[in-house]
Amino acid sequence: MKKYSQISGEISEFSDLPFWKKADVVDLVYVGYGLLIVALVVVSYILGSFNLLPRDPQDIDLHLMMAPPGTAGRLLGTDFMGRDMLSRLIVGIQAYFLPGLLAILIALCFGTGLGVLAGYRGEKFDTGITYFTNLVDSFPRLVLILLVIAAFKPNIYYIMLVVGLTNVPVISSLVKGKIQFLKQKNFIEADIALGLPTRIIIFKHILWHHCRSLLIIQATLGMAEAILMETSLSYLGFGVQEPTPSWGNMVQSGANYFMQGKFWPSTAPALAILFTILGLHLLGDGLNNILEGKRNT
Amino acid sequence: MKLSAIRPIALVLSRELMITVLLLLGVSFVVFIILFASPGDPFSVLLEGQLSTAEAKTGVREAMGVPRSWYIQYLTWLAGMLSGNFGTSIRMGLPVLPEVLRVGFSTLILTIGSLMITLLIAVPIALYSAVRGTNKLSWPLTMSSYVISALPVFWFGYIVIYFFTHELGLFPIAFGFSTAGQKYRWLYQLLPIFVLGVGNGTISEVIRFLRQEMGRVMAEDYIRSARAKGASIWKHAFKEGLLIPVTEIIASKIPFILGGAVIVEQVFNWPGMGRMAWQAAQDRDYPVIMGIAILAAVFVRLGSLFQSVVYVAVNPRASKE
Repeated sequence: MKKYSQISGEISEFSDLPFWKKADVVDLVYVGYGLLIVALVVVSYILGSFNLLPRDPQDIDLHLMMAPPGTAGRLLGTDFMGRDMLSRLIVGIQAYFLPGLLAILIALCFGTGLGVLAGYRGEKFDTGITYFTNLVDSFPRLVLILLVIAAFKPNIYYIMLVVGLTNVPVISSLVKGKIQFLKQKNFIEADIALGLPTRIIIFKHILWHHCRSLLIIQATLGMAEAILMETSLSYLGFGVQEPTPSWGNMVQSGANYFMQGKFWPSTAPALAILFTILGLHLLGDGLNNILEGKRNT
Repeated sequence: MKLSAIRPIALVLSRELMITVLLLLGVSFVVFIILFASPGDPFSVLLEGQLSTAEAKTGVREAMGVPRSWYIQYLTWLAGMLSGNFGTSIRMGLPVLPEVLRVGFSTLILTIGSLMITLLIAVPIALYSAVRGTNKLSWPLTMSSYVISALPVFWFGYIVIYFFTHELGLFPIAFGFSTAGQKYRWLYQLLPIFVLGVGNGTISEVIRFLRQEMGRVMAEDYIRSARAKGASIWKHAFKEGLLIPVTEIIASKIPFILGGAVIVEQVFNWPGMGRMAWQAAQDRDYPVIMGIAILAAVFVRLGSLFQSVVYVAVNPRASKE
């Protein structure tokens, strides 16, 4: 997950222009593409959950194996067993969508919690939290997940819990940085002087007004992370198992036909991964440039 | 180097070493907790299939002197590890430590090699755009770095293998290290390094970070003065603008690259830690995966130790903080 250093600067929300007028065109293009991808994924997820597919993703058709994209009735061609690629790609979203949301939720909740503790309560918790975040950062994520898999044979939701926990350090350090920045600007001191209850200061003034955009950005990047994890695990054979499609295991099973020059069965899901992760990264970075006002090409 | 230059480094080194030791203790504790909480602790896995009744198991437990309380178990386990006893692999029946160290070395080569590749790509681009600012080339460069970062590395690996075996005909189709006696064997070993270096998904982030840091340093007053008096800007900006950011990014990306190594080793049959971790997770071979997790954490901590040493060597003031 990406980390953006908080450079001291003016608080951008104070200017009156709406954000799309202040923004760079390139950033708007990034965000536009990202939103398009998000919309596509969400719509495909809904279509997949209501089973509104062009074809049955498990329907084997041995007369139409490895059809190229554009074959009549099969928009994106078929795989090595003649199963419809488009339907399988749509159903593949089921494998990461809800687990990914869970990972994001965990990372956001624990990350903001720890960040607020470290930033707002200061020294008392800071050392402990720094220790914890360094500890989590010491494990390569995939190795930690393999350890958890070896120990528990968990399903994807538990794995995503671990993914979420490994994303906690980034978010907590960002929230902490933001709070320290606000402290520097005497923002919190002013709040306390006004006699506001801590609850209002933390939830409304700090988190809602100043950390909102940061958390949205981290959520998009976290989703990209979760997709990468899920597809990697399915590729390695620990996630979704054949015949249920996931983009990862589609790449893996299609790769057996690579050496025969049949690229499509593994390239189609790989492109799906590529475009989705690209979209989420661009969305996150574009939003970061626009909302946090840090364009430095 | 003068003694006065070494003193702050030694100070920081001792402090950082202490932190490293504390963190590694924490790592061992987390690993222990995961294994302890798992259904079937390491001990009962050892006995799996050998004894049928629960009474027999507890009997053996007591006969072998395995303590019941978790903290004594942890301390015995830790003491064993410190004396080099990481346990015995359930699948291979070999002691874990030598095995893990053997594969750890080849993963180390893979990791360091791919870090070099990443930097070889990222540093020139970042330097170029930090010095020249926005121009015609910067948009295509940024865009392609985004695309490369989003590339799924497993698929990229297959593409590269296909290209080299089929289009160039350099290797036999058979995968793996059965290439003994092949003319291009060395090249085959370079491929995974190249693939992981390009496809580890951090390139765009590395470029952005380096560019931002370099841009910040280039805007500093002392660079302006150096420029004004005609001194070498490169010499003035090197430490602060290149050396520190590069070591920082190396230290923070080691975990990512080790994670990516699991996949790339799988694609290329590279006999490394990642492949062994995969196999161990497949077989639920606790001692092996545990040893690998700890060794990987040691790599990560050594990386950040290295970073703080470089930081203090360049900037002795930091030791007083």
